[in-house]
Amino acid sequence: MAQLLPSFTSHVLPLVLSAGPVLAQRAGAPAPADTLRRLDEVVVTATRTEKSLTDVPIPVAVVGAQQIKSMGALRLGDVLREQTGLSLVADHGQGIQIQGLGSEYTLLLLDGEPLIGRTAGTLDLTRVAVGNIQRVEVVKGPASALWGSDALAGVVNIITQKPQPGLRGSLRARYGTNRTADFGATLNAGGERMRFTLFGNRYSSAGYALQPASGTATVPPFASYTGQGRFTYSLSERTKFSLSGRYYLENQRSSAPTLTEAGTTEVIAYQSQQTDFNLNPTLTHRFAGDKFFATARLYYSRYHTRENYTYAVDGRYYDATYFTQTFLRPEVQVDYRPRPSQTLTLGTGWQRQTVEATRYDQRQLMQAAYGYTQYDWTPTTRLNLVGGVRYDGPSQYAGQLSPKLAARYQLRPWLALRGSVGRGYRAPDFRQLYLNFSNPTVGYSVFGTNQVQAKVAQLAAQGQLATDPATGQAIVYQSALTQAGSLTAESSLATNVGFLLEPKLASEALSYRLTVNAFRNDLSNLIETATVALKKNGQAVFSYRNVTRAYTQGLELENTLRLPRGFAVSAGYQYLVAKDKSVVKALAAGQVFRRNPVSLETERVRPGEYGGLFNRSRHSWNAKLFYESRPHGLTASVRAIYRGRYGFADANANAILDADKEYVRGYLLLNAAASKTLGPWLSAQAGIDNLTNYTDPAYISTLAGRLFYASLSLELGQRAR
Amino acid sequence: MKNTFRPALLLAVAPLALAACKKDDDAAPVAPVAPTTPAQTATVTSLSAAGTTSATGQPVTAKHYTFFSLADGKQIAYTDSNSTKWDVGFRGTTIIVNGGTSGPGQGGAQVLAKLFADVATAPTTDYAVDAATGFAIPTGSGKGWYTYDATTHLISPIAGKIIALRTATGKYAKLEVQSYYKDAPATPSATTPSGYYTFRYAYQPSGTSLK
Repeated sequence: MAQLLPSFTSHVLPLVLSAGPVLAQRAGAPAPADTLRRLDEVVVTATRTEKSLTDVPIPVAVVGAQQIKSMGALRLGDVLREQTGLSLVADHGQGIQIQGLGSEYTLLLLDGEPLIGRTAGTLDLTRVAVGNIQRVEVVKGPASALWGSDALAGVVNIITQKPQPGLRGSLRARYGTNRTADFGATLNAGGERMRFTLFGNRYSSAGYALQPASGTATVPPFASYTGQGRFTYSLSERTKFSLSGRYYLENQRSSAPTLTEAGTTEVIAYQSQQTDFNLNPTLTHRFAGDKFFATARLYYSRYHTRENYTYAVDGRYYDATYFTQTFLRPEVQVDYRPRPSQTLTLGTGWQRQTVEATRYDQRQLMQAAYGYTQYDWTPTTRLNLVGGVRYDGPSQYAGQLSPKLAARYQLRPWLALRGSVGRGYRAPDFRQLYLNFSNPTVGYSVFGTNQVQAKVAQLAAQGQLATDPATGQAIVYQSALTQAGSLTAESSLATNVGFLLEPKLASEALSYRLTVNAFRNDLSNLIETATVALKKNGQAVFSYRNVTRAYTQGLELENTLRLPRGFAVSAGYQYLVAKDKSVVKALAAGQVFRRNPVSLETERVRPGEYGGLFNRSRHSWNAKLFYESRPHGLTASVRAIYRGRYGFADANANAILDADKEYVRGYLLLNAAASKTLGPWLSAQAGIDNLTNYTDPAYISTLAGRLFYASLSLELGQRAR
Repeated sequence: MKNTFRPALLLAVAPLALAACKKDDDAAPVAPVAPTTPAQTATVTSLSAAGTTSATGQPVTAKHYTFFSLADGKQIAYTDSNSTKWDVGFRGTTIIVNGGTSGPGQGGAQVLAKLFADVATAPTTDYAVDAATGFAIPTGSGKGWYTYDATTHLISPIAGKIIALRTATGKYAKLEVQSYYKDAPATPSATTPSGYYTFRYAYQPSGTSLK
């Protein structure tokens, strides 16, 4: 990635330090509170080149290290849930919803390289520790034109701290409710040419049970470990080498009463282990004349889970599953800047993924070569145009061409307009391609589309399919089978239009920014299950096909006000509508009904009663107050996060959201934290999350109730300049 | 015309009478439409189409269909399966009609997306018949009268799915399944006994009116 462009790096340096307010003070950083974003912040995810946040033509949100620290956040989910337009969604882990699209549609990057290992589409955000993060960039709207698959709703890029000159380290310990303990350490050492950082973290909790009577913990006890490091070496003034790596390990144990196949209820003990490893060597070179900048990267990642189930009573084997995924990708990118107003980016790469799991026949291999190009042009000082296109040629489904065009126009010195149109796509996942699963008790089968034709033929040959006595032929739904055999990516066409208002205020100590963005995502070819054949036992053979069409649209606005004396206030709001187009059509035709579950009477649903897709809040907002007093070594924050009511599940026999009782009540979370320096090296922080102790045990598993915590941090060693 | 006429005949004649009136004199009072025989309506509660439970507690699919006569409003013994005494049969989530591969009758069915009350007249065409390639009332989640939730394992009759039926003897009827669980609880759970049909129907012994 081109984030090493020296001309911009100076803006980033003050934020790079792993220190809290203490250090920033000593380092003589600029006086105004850094807690909310800085005006000259540089982002890299929007264009894959360094670009000032205010100059990018697409919506990007940035959360800096200071703010993360001030919030007392431990894991990535804690950070993202407080941002405007982002909601946390619990589905096989903690996922993120952007512009009303589920977590399977968001690409998660760690320093520009994808994190792998999703369960049912969700990449669990609790896997990412935030103790060594410099900033998190969130690009909203499709970015497949640069980043390829999964960047349909947006991209979350976690930028970790880069090694700095000097020797220093930090230790941090935090303890809180539910015996949640977090220990972190960082070490940075660097000379002129060679530098490195190390980060270690242990995070554990006794978990919690919202419904103790069930005998099952909502979150069972767990312990996780993260080790991360980066080494940089300047081969010359123009050539730099970097090697970063990360290892993550999580162990979890629990037990739950389970209805076994024998029909009896037994307590089954569960033990799981997740590991996640990645390695990323990168070489960058700035060519003479400073017009060419080249980056060569190699990325390898492996994700592995193992789950063992045993009878709690005697430890007998009950079940065991595993999942292993690997990802390998070499990539080259060249940025050509003939003059300051033009940047041409060209990139190409090849990726190889494998997956091996209990429910897959064998190790499956998926390869794709890709290329992308982008032209960033500033024809006049007021206008910036960015156009790009990417082509992915995967081995298992049709090639994907993803274009994008974005523009920003500075209408007045204090007002900029921006708009973009782009395509996003999401490749069929491993399950949809390769699953080979037959339910042992019920008897149905599910096959990934990659092998469904062969499997159906095989079942037919084995005489396992139901036959039509008239013809003697096996009963196969040929059109569905054909569709399954030609499964392609889910895709979207999205438009984002908005403005950025930044009036020049009388006082230097005051600043205000308003960003407004309206979005619309039209999704097509969404994947759903389909019956492709009928088995002799009366059960179906399922596979997948592209059918559903949906849209999400809405409006997002965010205000940020920096006040004198270290105060900063921000407020954000998102209005969201997300609907299934076929449901909208059926409603218009008067073909959707609902049944009162008590009276069993049926009535027609009016189009206006449709609440849209489940799990989307129409209204969500947040308001935050940050305070920072450098002379007193004090920081404090109070944050209110509201998530409006959202659909949970159908309760009146029409599979859609249309009645009040199908909603989860809206709720407000109040979080507060404060920190104080206790001397030159030491600082303490204490906080309360969910001050009002809000829980909804039946519907919201992620809200544990009020959480107290306190932490101590120690900063040691030399300072950077 | 007198009310002693058979209703079917009445139905056939009424429109003619009406048309004749209009031709003669538009201003003349419209002749009263002869009343048609109202359909026989009834609600059946918790008709069991469930199988037994094995020694290990596993549900076992019922051996026989549970047959029901809409004409007589009662359950018919399975030993009469090869007769036109029954109109519909239930086993698990499968509903058969007496015709085609399922029985000797003239039975057929089609699933309409309407309110029960809005199906005032039975369609006279487009009935599907049970066949080896598939039942007249399609099986499978979202295909016919129910959805299956793979997470909760619950069967939910889809609101507004009205099964228009041609009975074993060629009469018309409409049927709406309201619950698949014993005693039609408002919020069944995975452990609620399933395979118990609660449904309402209207049967017209003469003609197509289903009011």
